[in-house]
Amino acid sequence: MELWGDHSDVESDSEWVREVSANGVSMKTTEVEAKLDQGNIQEAEASLREGLSLNFEEARSLLGKLEYQRGNVEGALRVFEGIDLQAAIQRLQPSLAEKPSSRRGRFRTESVHAVSQHAASLVLEAIYLKAKSLQKLGRVSEAAHECKSVLDALEKIFYQGIPDVQVDNKLQEIVTQAVELLPDLWKQAGFYHEAIAAYRRALLSQWNLDNDCCARIQKGYAVLLLYGGVEAGPPSLAVQIDGSYVPKNNLEEAILLLMILMRKFILGKTQWDPSVMDHLTFALSVCSQTPVLAKQLEEIMPGVYHRVDRWNSLALCYSGAGQNKAALNLLRKSLHKHERPDDIIALLLAAKICSEDSHLAAEGVGYARRAINHAHGIDEHLKGVGLRTLGLCLGKQTKVSSSDFERSCLQSEALKSLEGAISLEPNNTDLIFELGVQYAEHRNLTAALRCAKQFIDETGGSILKGWRFLALVLSAQQRFSEAEVVTDAALDETAKWDQGPLLRLKAKLKFSQSLHMDAIETYRYLLALVQAQRKSFGPPRIQVVDDKVNEFEIWHGLAKLYSSLSHWKDAEICLGKARELKQYSVEALHTEGVIFEGHGQFQEAFAAYNNALLLEPCHVPCKILISALLSKRGLKALPVARSLLSDALRIDPTNRMAWYYLGMVHKDDGRKADAADCFQAASMLEESDPIESFDSIL
Amino acid sequence: MSDHSESTTPSSTSTRTTEHAPSISSDSLSKTKSAIESLSAILSSFPSNLSFSISSNPNPAFSLLHDPQVASQVSSLLREPNSGAGDNNLCRWLYDTFQSGDPNLQLIVLRFLPIIVGIYLSRVALRKPLAGFEAVLLALYAHETTSRAGQPITMNVPNLSLPSVYHEAKAPINNNSTELNLAVISPSLEPHGTVRSTRRARIVGVALELYHSKIYHMPVGSKIDFCDFCVVWAGQDNNDDRDLNKESGSNGRKEGRIPLPWELLQPVLRILGHCLMGNTKNKELFDAAWAACNSLYARSMHDINPKALLATGSLLKLGKKAMEPSEDLDPTEIRKSNVLVI
Repeated sequence: MELWGDHSDVESDSEWVREVSANGVSMKTTEVEAKLDQGNIQEAEASLREGLSLNFEEARSLLGKLEYQRGNVEGALRVFEGIDLQAAIQRLQPSLAEKPSSRRGRFRTESVHAVSQHAASLVLEAIYLKAKSLQKLGRVSEAAHECKSVLDALEKIFYQGIPDVQVDNKLQEIVTQAVELLPDLWKQAGFYHEAIAAYRRALLSQWNLDNDCCARIQKGYAVLLLYGGVEAGPPSLAVQIDGSYVPKNNLEEAILLLMILMRKFILGKTQWDPSVMDHLTFALSVCSQTPVLAKQLEEIMPGVYHRVDRWNSLALCYSGAGQNKAALNLLRKSLHKHERPDDIIALLLAAKICSEDSHLAAEGVGYARRAINHAHGIDEHLKGVGLRTLGLCLGKQTKVSSSDFERSCLQSEALKSLEGAISLEPNNTDLIFELGVQYAEHRNLTAALRCAKQFIDETGGSILKGWRFLALVLSAQQRFSEAEVVTDAALDETAKWDQGPLLRLKAKLKFSQSLHMDAIETYRYLLALVQAQRKSFGPPRIQVVDDKVNEFEIWHGLAKLYSSLSHWKDAEICLGKARELKQYSVEALHTEGVIFEGHGQFQEAFAAYNNALLLEPCHVPCKILISALLSKRGLKALPVARSLLSDALRIDPTNRMAWYYLGMVHKDDGRKADAADCFQAASMLEESDPIESFDSIL
Repeated sequence: MSDHSESTTPSSTSTRTTEHAPSISSDSLSKTKSAIESLSAILSSFPSNLSFSISSNPNPAFSLLHDPQVASQVSSLLREPNSGAGDNNLCRWLYDTFQSGDPNLQLIVLRFLPIIVGIYLSRVALRKPLAGFEAVLLALYAHETTSRAGQPITMNVPNLSLPSVYHEAKAPINNNSTELNLAVISPSLEPHGTVRSTRRARIVGVALELYHSKIYHMPVGSKIDFCDFCVVWAGQDNNDDRDLNKESGSNGRKEGRIPLPWELLQPVLRILGHCLMGNTKNKELFDAAWAACNSLYARSMHDINPKALLATGSLLKLGKKAMEPSEDLDPTEIRKSNVLVI
């Protein structure tokens, strides 16, 4: 019936003469168009009716379509306004032809459909083109009402649905276009709730849409849900099926739709649209669901993204979820010399991940240096970041350096890098903090103190670790009462549930000032706090773990406190409580050993320290205590003790106890000068020893 | 306050504020009247159409929300050096107006939230009196705490192996693989009577969550203010003007850079998503949002923050696509043909 001449490249150029055809007759439109140009709709209509034997509505519809195609939307609108389309719809409603009771009479229904589909498409196309004309004239909300009436009419005329096999191509095309246009019109008109309803109507009713059209609607809806700023609420109960997933807010619904779109693409049902993945990336990353995003990325067929891009995105996803190991493995692939070794973000991320692990720090130094080398041109502003990660990696590398010389080289290089970074980014508060910690580990406490104060000033005291750092630096300067003032100020600025680490610090400060009862009191309060917290939140709840003190630490802290006061009974009770919470703990074994020693059970103490070392071979305090025990056994054991202490000092060169016992070993062995050196080191370090180690804070 | 929280949920507020004013109760009208009166005492000049025609204006709160003259006066007052002090008239007015509990009046306070938050966060480090701003922010926080009953906002991450309203699942339902993944979008809220510095970001973040839930009602000017402050907070010079700033500015420092923990950054990004992609036709807003995205992307690189890099990076890609002229054929356009048939 239809012969669509495809002249889209020529469009409405005048050299093409338009034709209209109906009822097997066709005629040129030159004459009709001339009449239209004169504004004479009636005459134009009359010549169409005569030439093609059409009725009034058919002629008007054709005329409107002609005007629309000629680009004269105002004219088209005038023509369409001359037709009473609602009346035409009324006439088409099947209630005239059949009663709902005859629903089963299949044969008759079908014949009715066959007749009315043609008529219906005529009327519906007219309304649809009216909507399009209004849209082009900027009258979008009127356009939306017209477009909606296309769908309403369709539902009225074919209230039983249209069997797939029988849908007239032309009718289907109008239906599809109207279904797609309606939500868009509401959106353009700013009626977001109506747009949401229209999108749901499009997606939840059977319109027999093709895959691409459905995908476009799903994407449009997801975009509205994500960015429209209007909460859609869950879909009505009518469409919910038992056991199926029902989105209950915008984010859920948008993510669901975008995931469905991704699946359709993977199954080859629709064209690849990179923006779908971009929307999904935004949605999942703002709700911290980067592992889900990673899974989506992994499902995409090879060839869509360049493999390096995919690796780098995956690395960001994994690192965003704290899975740094997986992230680093991917970055190693993407930074391989045959791939994209100069990608600055990948280099920086790799360096940052490496800076958190002393065994990877050396590798990180390499990434950071490469990043610095490539920080030019548009990326020049990243030079400071490169220097910062370099400083952090070098600082971390000192923890595993094998010699004093190497360590001091690394340390000063780390400081130099961080100082270089801060000259480029003087207002980067993170950097100020990291530089401060680096100074503190270097025992440059004056500079560390300056950084700590500056950090608190510039962050407005909003970051807890800033307060803790300041208190630690002050404690290292043996200014315990000032450290306590800082801790109290910090407690004032902290909500109850976050006070744990500060209270623990306070207890230690009290202890350092020999205010043992106060220290015990602080621990008690801390214990009450933790228990209250457990009660109010309930145990199975997943809490953010960082910056919170767990109950084990408190019992263990108390046990250590009592054991240092030689209250062995109390110490044992507290230790017992601690071990109920965490069976295999280096710290607990360490304290257990101390208690055994207090009872004079040296063999048991020795066993406890050894067990601790089996759990964690680098545990410095146990190494020290074992060597202390060994050195008491006489000259024969001294070499072993000495090697253990040297090992302890390799791991933690600022440990004053290690220096002290090494001095004792030297003294017992008769090396007076060496002993004196060690004791001097121990005494100097004592003057700059923080109550918790500085790297506990990073 | 709780009795009003019900009526301010987005789904139940009128959707047509841009077109039709909702009917206003007399109680609400009198609240609006007194709010307008006290505001006109604070502002140096007050638009006459607002102060005199209250009785004839069907929705004075709506007019107040969208009045450019009021907006610019309030904005410049808020930007004055000592604007956030505890005895500041305007802060008091904002506080009282929000506490009136009238949803339409509350929107007016929210309209100025970007400036309040922007000035407040940038001034924290300067040790200026900020009790006035803090009172307003705490009122918003308390409102949100009450309307949520302190509960967290969570989300079940969709899982396609379960059938949904929009798709069918092929695999039979298997309990292990179809377990839903619960994500916390905004953690539970504890009441706060004062702004403790370590909770500041959270309190501001929750106020921004409230702003985001009402963003549909916000005038474009408010959103542009927000985007402009994002650039300040990011503290990232954009490439070219970097050297220039260094020479002229004080020690090359950019004022206003603030820590951006996730509890603050997350609502910021959601609002920014709306500003950039909500309506790409508004050029001015789009440009402001585009600049904000660029700054926050640069900041995310400096912080090496993977989640922020993913979010801002995807927004930049989407924004770039929106700027390109679309070459797609309009699928809702009828096919052109020189032979017309019926």
